[in-house]
Amino acid sequence: MKKGLSILILMLVLALAFTTVTAAQDDLKEFDVFISVSLPDYSGSSIVGDIIQKETGVKLNREYLVGDLEQKVGLMIASQDYPDMLVAAHFTDKFVEAGALIPLEDLIDKHAPNIKKYYSKHLDALRKDDGHIYYLPQLAIPFEPAERRYPSVGFFINKRVLEANDYPVIKSFDQYFELIENYQKEHPEYKGQKTIGYTTLFDGWRRFATTNGPMHLMGYPNEGGFVPVKEGGEYVVRPYYGSNVEKYYYKKLNEMYNKGVVDKEAFVSNFDQYLEKISSGRVLGTINQYWQVQQAQEVLINEDPDSIMVPFPVTYDPIVEEHVRDKPYVQTTQGMGITTACEDPVAAIKYLDYLVSLDTQRLIQWGIEGEHYQVDEDGMFYRTEEQLKMFQDPTWVRDVFGRHYFYNAFPSLTGLGPDGNSFMPSRQPSAIYANSSEAEKEVMDAYGVKSFTGLYNKPFEDRKYFPLWTITLPTNSKAQIESTRMTDALVQHIPTLVMDSTEKFETNWDAYTKQINGLMDAQIEHYQKQIDWRMENW
Amino acid sequence: MKKSGDTFWQKLWKQKALVLMSLPFIIYVIIFKYVPLWGWLMAFQNYWPGNSFFNQTWVGLENFRLLLTDPVFFEVLRNTLAMSLIKLLSGMFFSILLALVLNEVRFAKFKKITQTISYLPHFISWVVGANLVMNALSTDGGIVNDVLLNLGIIDSPIMFMGIPKLFWWIVGASHVWKTVGFGAILYLASIVSISPSLYEAAVIDGASRLQRIRYITLPALKPVIIILLIINVGRLMNMGFQQIYLLSNGRVIEYSRIFRIFELDYGLKMMRYSFATTAGIFRSLVSIVLVFSANQIAKMMGEERLI
Repeated sequence: MKKGLSILILMLVLALAFTTVTAAQDDLKEFDVFISVSLPDYSGSSIVGDIIQKETGVKLNREYLVGDLEQKVGLMIASQDYPDMLVAAHFTDKFVEAGALIPLEDLIDKHAPNIKKYYSKHLDALRKDDGHIYYLPQLAIPFEPAERRYPSVGFFINKRVLEANDYPVIKSFDQYFELIENYQKEHPEYKGQKTIGYTTLFDGWRRFATTNGPMHLMGYPNEGGFVPVKEGGEYVVRPYYGSNVEKYYYKKLNEMYNKGVVDKEAFVSNFDQYLEKISSGRVLGTINQYWQVQQAQEVLINEDPDSIMVPFPVTYDPIVEEHVRDKPYVQTTQGMGITTACEDPVAAIKYLDYLVSLDTQRLIQWGIEGEHYQVDEDGMFYRTEEQLKMFQDPTWVRDVFGRHYFYNAFPSLTGLGPDGNSFMPSRQPSAIYANSSEAEKEVMDAYGVKSFTGLYNKPFEDRKYFPLWTITLPTNSKAQIESTRMTDALVQHIPTLVMDSTEKFETNWDAYTKQINGLMDAQIEHYQKQIDWRMENW
Repeated sequence: MKKSGDTFWQKLWKQKALVLMSLPFIIYVIIFKYVPLWGWLMAFQNYWPGNSFFNQTWVGLENFRLLLTDPVFFEVLRNTLAMSLIKLLSGMFFSILLALVLNEVRFAKFKKITQTISYLPHFISWVVGANLVMNALSTDGGIVNDVLLNLGIIDSPIMFMGIPKLFWWIVGASHVWKTVGFGAILYLASIVSISPSLYEAAVIDGASRLQRIRYITLPALKPVIIILLIINVGRLMNMGFQQIYLLSNGRVIEYSRIFRIFELDYGLKMMRYSFATTAGIFRSLVSIVLVFSANQIAKMMGEERLI
């Protein structure tokens, strides 16, 4: 009897296992995707993901980035072993050069009405020299751009410093450091730890946070390694490396380093240590793009709201008219493409098209109506206190809700929708001020603005080429080699410029400029050519 | 081929067992060492992976010109050879020294323990090893700085990993730390095989310990040392990629960039496959020259040879 029962159970289990396996294999179409962002592997199920999988019958096998992207891309191209779809950040063009991606324009024309409609403004800029479109950037702005709570880049300063000085308007770099230095002198410790006056990020490719400083001091938004200066109606590419402003910037940092204001460990810390320092609340100032400090800021908002970091468009001289705030633009030089290895490109483009439909975008970014957001009588979306709380938990949003796995690096929409609702909930016009934390509101009130972007001037006039950094340097070109050598020189010299004694600064500066001179001509030439081309064709 | 009446084929047949046994290795060498050599053709092209082999542009010796005129070429060559030599010589010296000392230790337990402790680092991967080294040398609670501070030798911590000229020696020292124990085993084994009668005779003749080392142990080790030297000279250009890659940082790049790192940074990472291949060929050529010269020198000195 006992034996008979166990055999029966065994058979039942086997039968069950068999049916689920076949069911799973039956109707799902699978695509392999390489995605150049770092995320934990997808669990296979989430609120958003389950709905999408049910509606499309498509299952994605995602490979997220582990380690060095440049190396990964190099190996992928050398072995010509491609997934069905891929996105490789600013290296995506390498796959185009290698002939790994298939042209999309006919597929879009025939099978992707949503992409055709919502990407229409960008399709021209997406066309390569050969007239083909090979990939779709993550964010399309089909209608009007939306306002943001934080500007994309700035010199951040701790709220405690602002409070102690009755919320001054910070304009110049000297003033910025004066505030920090004085505050640090009065408060050498915070919660039992040493106060860090100013820190800066110099870890791997993220080091642009530090090296971009002079560009922003000159009042420019992030253009990359060079700035196109408007001269008589033309945009002329000029270097800021080796410029007087750069010298002033590092000299100031060097001086502050020797006074103990600049973090001693700044140049040897990695990104995690940098975030950890800021989220401890003991850092008074740092320069960065907001997305690189966002994680730390979110921790501060929850745990130490008095120490949140507030961005300012600081310049080297108060008379400089700053345009550090950037105009929303679409990154036309990277995106998701379909590879030659994909056996069913039609199904792939249909899947991407499904993702950028209004309904799917609402689902991925807002959620399910009534459950994750409400609609008021004017048709505007909002979230209740309770719903907001859910979405303030980043791990919940990622793992349970599942937004990251269908939004990060996938084609999607941003800005305001046709009905005036922002695609991105945090940029809902009514939400920016209303959904700010108490501490954020306090600062905004003190300066009389409704978002931190309000602390900034208006962006530059419409610069069609914007930004320069989306121009990629062709493989094996002189410009590309120059740029690699340039990076080497920066890595080698900048820590010394800042950390050596002040007497040696001039010598170190000469050594630095000597090395970078002659490493910029081919780069400038290439950027200039591309900018002229963009001005003409976009 | 006619030797003592056997033709080549007769001889082959006689030694068929030997030939069969060596066959797998010959096939292995052909497949993994010789077949890939056709990829060297890439060095004479402007290779781009999207195109088929016959669709590439041929550029002659352009890549070699680029390599030899690269502004950092000599710096890279210097670093490669200097660090390899430091590692080779210091590694051998300390291994032999340790082997000699261990051989003289009469207290067996102490000998065992020392041997085990000294060869343990060999089993740590360089990823872990490099981190241990960097932690030990760190300015923030690193043991070296702490000791120096407490002894009053320095007033403020020294950033060892940030001093370019120190990098070679850090690499050399950490190489010794990691390999000395394991290297000593090899020499110890040779020492053990020396006939005890030689030592006994020396003792009777009144030779001191040092004299026994000088006149018996070292001469007996000479062939092993020379063979190992020849083998390692051939590897000079390839030594220690992992170690140096993991230990180096941007500030010391002038002294830390070796050939293989250069190939990676200025070749593969930039997708200049042809350039990377060219650098690889150059590396192999230098290695061949080095091996043959070492071999020749050994021959002239009337010593054992490899080839």
